[in-house]
Amino acid sequence: MSSSLSRSDVEQGRSLWQDAIARLWKNRLAMIGLYVLFFMVLIALLTPWIAPYSYEAQKLDIGAVAPNAQHWLGTDTFGRDLLTRIMYGGRVSLAVGFIATAVALLIGVLWGAIAGYIGGRTDAVMMRIVDILYALPFMIFIILLMVVFGRSILLLFLAIGCVEWLTMARIVRGQVLAIRHQEFVDAAIVIGLSHWQIIYRHIIPNILGPIIVYITLTIPSVMLLEAFLSFLGLGIQPPQSSWGLLISYGVETMEEYPWLLIFPGLVLSITLFSLNFLGDGLRDALDPKASKD
Amino acid sequence: MLKFIGFRILQAIPVLLVVIFVTFLLVRMAPGGPFDEEKAVSPYVLEKLNERYNLDAPLSEQFFDYLSGILQGDFGPSFKFPTRSVTEMIATGLPITFELAFYAMLVALFIGISAGLLAAIRPNTAQDYVPMSIAMIGICMPSFLMGPILVLIFGIWLEWLPVSGWGYSPGDKILPAITLGSTYAAYIARLTRGSMLEVLSQDYIRTARAKGLSTQTIIFKHALKGGLLPVVSFLGPAIAGLLSGSFVVETIFQIPGLGRFYVQAAFNRDYTMIMGTTIFFSVLIIFFNLLSDIIVAYLNPRLKLGNKK
Repeated sequence: MSSSLSRSDVEQGRSLWQDAIARLWKNRLAMIGLYVLFFMVLIALLTPWIAPYSYEAQKLDIGAVAPNAQHWLGTDTFGRDLLTRIMYGGRVSLAVGFIATAVALLIGVLWGAIAGYIGGRTDAVMMRIVDILYALPFMIFIILLMVVFGRSILLLFLAIGCVEWLTMARIVRGQVLAIRHQEFVDAAIVIGLSHWQIIYRHIIPNILGPIIVYITLTIPSVMLLEAFLSFLGLGIQPPQSSWGLLISYGVETMEEYPWLLIFPGLVLSITLFSLNFLGDGLRDALDPKASKD
Repeated sequence: MLKFIGFRILQAIPVLLVVIFVTFLLVRMAPGGPFDEEKAVSPYVLEKLNERYNLDAPLSEQFFDYLSGILQGDFGPSFKFPTRSVTEMIATGLPITFELAFYAMLVALFIGISAGLLAAIRPNTAQDYVPMSIAMIGICMPSFLMGPILVLIFGIWLEWLPVSGWGYSPGDKILPAITLGSTYAAYIARLTRGSMLEVLSQDYIRTARAKGLSTQTIIFKHALKGGLLPVVSFLGPAIAGLLSGSFVVETIFQIPGLGRFYVQAAFNRDYTMIMGTTIFFSVLIIFFNLLSDIIVAYLNPRLKLGNKK
């Protein structure tokens, strides 16, 4: 774009990213989602210092009490403070969401980028593998993995991550393939840039948008998966806790102590809501073509 | 068309083999034998048990035995309930799970399509925002939360509907079906809205309007066929989702279906039962995906094998 005109002659252009941020800023729901999420993450990080009670503290003599001044969200049947339990549970739920998504991101981007960049037969074989894996019923396989190898949180990260990378690989591969054959990449090859330089300077910045969108949409689905497994008793195991596990305890006693179901459920739903709104907003902001419905 | 169907069926076979192989291998790799109990079993009994279940044969032989058993519809005996075979348990659970999934699908299609249509007819008005916001709640509220909350409200507080069971009292199928169907209703509503908006902006719809056709005729006679394509292609994954959703719903409502058997087998480490149900569920899911692909290809003449991504 460098022409003979001096900088002051042309109107200052806005980059794609500035544009996207401006669009996102205007999307009220997405911004609320972002703030809520930020708040949740902050709370989760600070929990050990700001939690009103200690995680193990039990008051068996009081048992389950409804929300009151001492226990804002009430206590469970062991007299444990629900707010504290939700805060600690959130750490696990959010960690699963972020870490499993990171695993998916790593595998998916590498797989998709390699397939798309090399192309040809390698691409065909790699994508065929993805197609076959796509057809597998993964929920069932995660349960199988958890049963066979014991219910550890590390395995949960891996198992969920290994499932969610497929879509990521497809998206990245499609993008890379499209960019790979653009003229500016040919030009970069002609002036003698190495493959890594091309990937680093041209490919990655161009595929970042769809990846970010997909990340924000993967995190809620991963968190949902964790909650689903924990609810069935096949995910997070006590003494650790997560929102899914709290909900499953809440269900057992919902008749007498409905708050034990309602508050964890509310927190999980609000988080999932926020992530989905943020994801939708980012998609609209980063991919103006897709948002014109 | 036939070639496409044939190709897709051929493609499904290696997938199935992979499923069976991986499942078999995973279960065999599990630490601890199937007969590890709190009480130690005497070596003699263990030997006899291994003989009975053919566990002392080489792995490859076991695999091919198992495979040929499956092809004849025999998933072997259950490890936990030696008197019952896995095939038998699948046969008892399956009709119930299918019935539940069928009702849930009806709920999802009916609510989803009507809400999506309402929203698409008057976009960016209250008629659009209200159903779409509810849809968003439906997507974000997982079934294991939706179910208990529905039970709490309609079963315990209002006492309108039974809280659990299946076929024992009138109305006990309503809450499970709504619980299982609600998420899919929400997705279908969003899909319907999006694609109907696209279809309604096409030239042939404008032509129909110019001819003076009523909105009803335009929507139901001209727009809906194209507008429902994404919904049809969503049906395959939706059925797959319904089947795994049945794990939770059947557990919440104590419905004796296949999903509940699977979860119980997972708890009991009943390996043959897990293997059998995993493979069986996989076959179902692959089959329904195949079916929805074929229906989509049939409905959409533009989608030819060659230019399919």
